[in-house]
Amino acid sequence: MTAWKAATIAGLVGFCLVVLVPFWWIASMSFKTYEQIQFAQSIYVPRPFTWENYTGLWLDTRFPLWLRNSAITAVVVTAITTVISCLSGYAVARLRFPGRESVASLILILYLVPPALLFIPLYRVLAELGATNSLWSLFLSYPTFTVPFCTWLLIGFFKALPVELEEAAMVDGATRTQALLRVLLPLAAPGIVASAIFAFTLSWNEFLYALIFIQDETMTTVPVGLNLLIYGDVFHWGQLMAASVITTVPVVALYMFIHRWMVEGLAAGGVKG
Amino acid sequence: MSADQIASRLGRGAPSAGRAGGHLAVPRSIKRRRETGTALLLLLPLFVLVVGLIVYPFYRAIWLSFTDKLVGYPERFVGLRNYLYLANDDTFRTVVRNSLVFTVASVVLKVGTGLLMALVLHATWRWRNFFRGLLLLPWITSTVIIALTWRWMFDAFPGRGFFNSVLLDAGLLSRPIAFMATPEGAMAAVVVANWWRGFPFFGVSYLAGMQSIPGELYEAASVDGAGAGRRFWHITLPGLKHVMLVTIVLTFIFTINDFNIIYVMTRGGPGTATQVFATYSYEVAFNQLRWGRGVTISIFVVPLLIALIPLLSRYLLRERTA
Repeated sequence: MTAWKAATIAGLVGFCLVVLVPFWWIASMSFKTYEQIQFAQSIYVPRPFTWENYTGLWLDTRFPLWLRNSAITAVVVTAITTVISCLSGYAVARLRFPGRESVASLILILYLVPPALLFIPLYRVLAELGATNSLWSLFLSYPTFTVPFCTWLLIGFFKALPVELEEAAMVDGATRTQALLRVLLPLAAPGIVASAIFAFTLSWNEFLYALIFIQDETMTTVPVGLNLLIYGDVFHWGQLMAASVITTVPVVALYMFIHRWMVEGLAAGGVKG
Repeated sequence: MSADQIASRLGRGAPSAGRAGGHLAVPRSIKRRRETGTALLLLLPLFVLVVGLIVYPFYRAIWLSFTDKLVGYPERFVGLRNYLYLANDDTFRTVVRNSLVFTVASVVLKVGTGLLMALVLHATWRWRNFFRGLLLLPWITSTVIIALTWRWMFDAFPGRGFFNSVLLDAGLLSRPIAFMATPEGAMAAVVVANWWRGFPFFGVSYLAGMQSIPGELYEAASVDGAGAGRRFWHITLPGLKHVMLVTIVLTFIFTINDFNIIYVMTRGGPGTATQVFATYSYEVAFNQLRWGRGVTISIFVVPLLIALIPLLSRYLLRERTA
């Protein structure tokens, strides 16, 4: 029995180290001076500790602009995604209509289509619409992967709620719309919030489409901007690390907020891994 | 509180007798017709999105693959020439091999580590949710940042590279190693980054699977004298069959099309040692400006998707449409 406990503790410590060491390495480098990095001084803990990478990143680079672009994109895409996914998720989960199962399989297949398959033709379509080189290209292209995914999640969430509640409301004289707004939506709120956070995270982290659809360095998002920091100015390692830290923090904060729902969503449906 | 918990709590108080009344109030055929109209209306935005931004571009991709489209020139129909060219192209063969090595190695590592992680978490008696959340962190972090992180972990320069820093500091190395300068080293580095990003998802999924296996099975096996190893082999693994299949196929599809990790860490190099489908397609389309050929590279993956998707949907659709 104690041998099992010891093995479990050893396993936990091992996994925590594997997960945390890379995060710690990046975070600690973001607080090191140029000399400390260049000459491999105080490798484990930055001494002295400096904020110069953060101030430099904020004042001397386009990072604030990229952060703004990323935030706008993530918010707009999340809004579009939530509306479309709630409508389609409700239709598939609750309404009886011919072809319902085909719609469900279509959503699943779309969720499995990798973005790498579509980037060249999508670029042409967006160029013809005049959307490239602006955030519009991202507002239009990101829902191609967020909507199937979130719809898929929401079908599961809606199905888990008992249909009797809405039927009871309708018997009591509520219209379907009222039943949807007053009964189902409040109950499904945790699921909708979780799916919205997934949409936000997927947009926030997206790289390939932003790299291809936007050439203007002032119009791009953080993940593409980070790569510009490497190839643009090879010497600002610390700033790059600081940028990575700043970009990761909002997602981790959101994630702590919904962690439980998220894990249940994962277990319920299977999520991109 | 989970959706199910809320539902069951509220469901207890709901008048279930109301259900029959609801069906009696409206004749069935009228209700169904009305529902079909509503469903079409609600699904309209989805259909517009799907047709305009997925189906139509996909159709354009197929068409482009039959042309010799170069940026700045009109496209000409060339039949199967792109496909034949790639079938005989040595670089493309390397790309296929690299993609398979990258994908199979990542998936195998993720399954093994995921099982181990699930076993450890399953045996954890306190703060299990806390550790589960902590270990999931890599999975929510941006892939670009993960790729950058591992690029620095393996960096040849001691001030930036974690492994070189630590090994030199401990006196285990006399001079830094350029891990990512060799083809094998670069491939190992991108596999490690991909593994690190993906294994927590496997671990959490397998943990959920293990928690749904009835405890009586283990008790009965213990009574019959089965040791821990045999219980794992005969109860745990069969119980995880479904979730293992789903995670493996899902990850296979997304890993064989991975772009971010490889583009950020190695750009397909050194040489073509880590060039995979998506990065090679990007390279041909946007650096060599051969769009027709670039598109054809990504279309080579489609038969694989067509083979794998029915396998997955058989398992996943059951719970969504039932």
